[in-house]
Amino acid sequence: MYNANKPDASELPSTGQLLRSTGIAAVVATALLVAVVLPAEYGVDPTRIGSVLGLTEMGRIKMQLAAETEAEEAGLAVAASAPAAAPAASTTAITPAADTPGQRSDETVLTLEPDQGAEIKLVMDEGARVRFTWTSSGGAINYDTHADRPGTPYHGYGKGTEQRVEGELVAAFDGSHGWFWRNRTGEPVTITLRTNGAYSEVKRVV
Amino acid sequence: MTGAPHRWAAWLRTPAGILLLGLLILFFNGLATVAFAHGVADGDKGYIQETSGFLFWPFLYLGAKHMVTGYDHLLFLLGVIFFLYRMKDISIYVTLFAIGHSSTLLLGVLTDVSVSSYLVDAIIGLSVVYKALDNMGAYQRWFGFQPNTKAATLVFGLFHGFGLATKLQDFNLSPDGLIGNLLAFNVGVEIGQLLALGAILIVMGFWRKSSSFWRHAYTANVVVMTLGFILAGYQLVGFFVA
Repeated sequence: MYNANKPDASELPSTGQLLRSTGIAAVVATALLVAVVLPAEYGVDPTRIGSVLGLTEMGRIKMQLAAETEAEEAGLAVAASAPAAAPAASTTAITPAADTPGQRSDETVLTLEPDQGAEIKLVMDEGARVRFTWTSSGGAINYDTHADRPGTPYHGYGKGTEQRVEGELVAAFDGSHGWFWRNRTGEPVTITLRTNGAYSEVKRVV
Repeated sequence: MTGAPHRWAAWLRTPAGILLLGLLILFFNGLATVAFAHGVADGDKGYIQETSGFLFWPFLYLGAKHMVTGYDHLLFLLGVIFFLYRMKDISIYVTLFAIGHSSTLLLGVLTDVSVSSYLVDAIIGLSVVYKALDNMGAYQRWFGFQPNTKAATLVFGLFHGFGLATKLQDFNLSPDGLIGNLLAFNVGVEIGQLLALGAILIVMGFWRKSSSFWRHAYTANVVVMTLGFILAGYQLVGFFVA
């Protein structure tokens, strides 16, 4: 006993019909695979349709992130004994005009190759405020302003794609607060970050 | 006794056997893909985390991909259409399922309701069990009545939508372009569902024409139910362990 009505043979599709459907399915699948799936997964785009739809960009980013992870894991295995230092960023302290205690100003300059990412974090106490401006020497780059602390791996303040952002960062908790940038412009860019406010340290995390 | 292994081998060669094997492979492939622990995520999540603004086609693609590679949704869909062969019935049930999961997908993300994805996915696993038992006629046999199948499809559709919503929320969607991206994702989910449905219907169409369909329908639903139990158990354990 099933919860079903038994169909007559005449109610079912004919074998010819089913074979035709199989053929159509195979053709549709091949077309979608070449025009959509390959661009979106691997950045391989023989038809150029993926580029028009923005899917090739997705595939390219995914491939690049995967390669980066692989390199990172290989690097971790090699550098297990010596902690790998993040690439240097030049941070220059700017002498404040009015010497307010607990306040400081810095200018941090770093260069990003195409597809490279970088992260600068400020060590701040809860409620501390920092005025900041960052500019890219090239086109608009992807950024993600966020914070972390032990137990909270990610707390987002906002993200987007801009060439210049000016604003105020108010620390949501005691921890590291800052910016992650990723250069998808295809050209090397220089990022200049100016910070002014209550923080104890500028560190390059990535 | 000697015939039993032979029957199993024969059963595996039927379209249903192949379909279930395919789903099993997808299933274990899905189990093996664990969340990533680095600061910068890989794959689709990495892409979504990095980008912002309205990205219609990428989100449409991700919605369709989520459905086509989502073994839990596919198993439920297989259960729903297992005994349906008229196009009219199939479209009614699939529409009910779509209404159900679309409403909670949109509502869940927009109102930022956070439900444990483990519990929602466990219920989704149980929805597969429910539908398999329903197909086997268990409710008529046990309770002497048939619960409304359309209502069940709609209600379980609501849970499947919550499951989709929790996955999306996990991606740190940018508020910039959120509604457009969400609608694109939802349209993609429906397109993916129709593509998957097309494939399932063709395989079922071939199988239904052979006499083996009615002989193996019961076993096939037992297998579907087993997979549903595994899904539910996997998610429940995850709720306590992870």
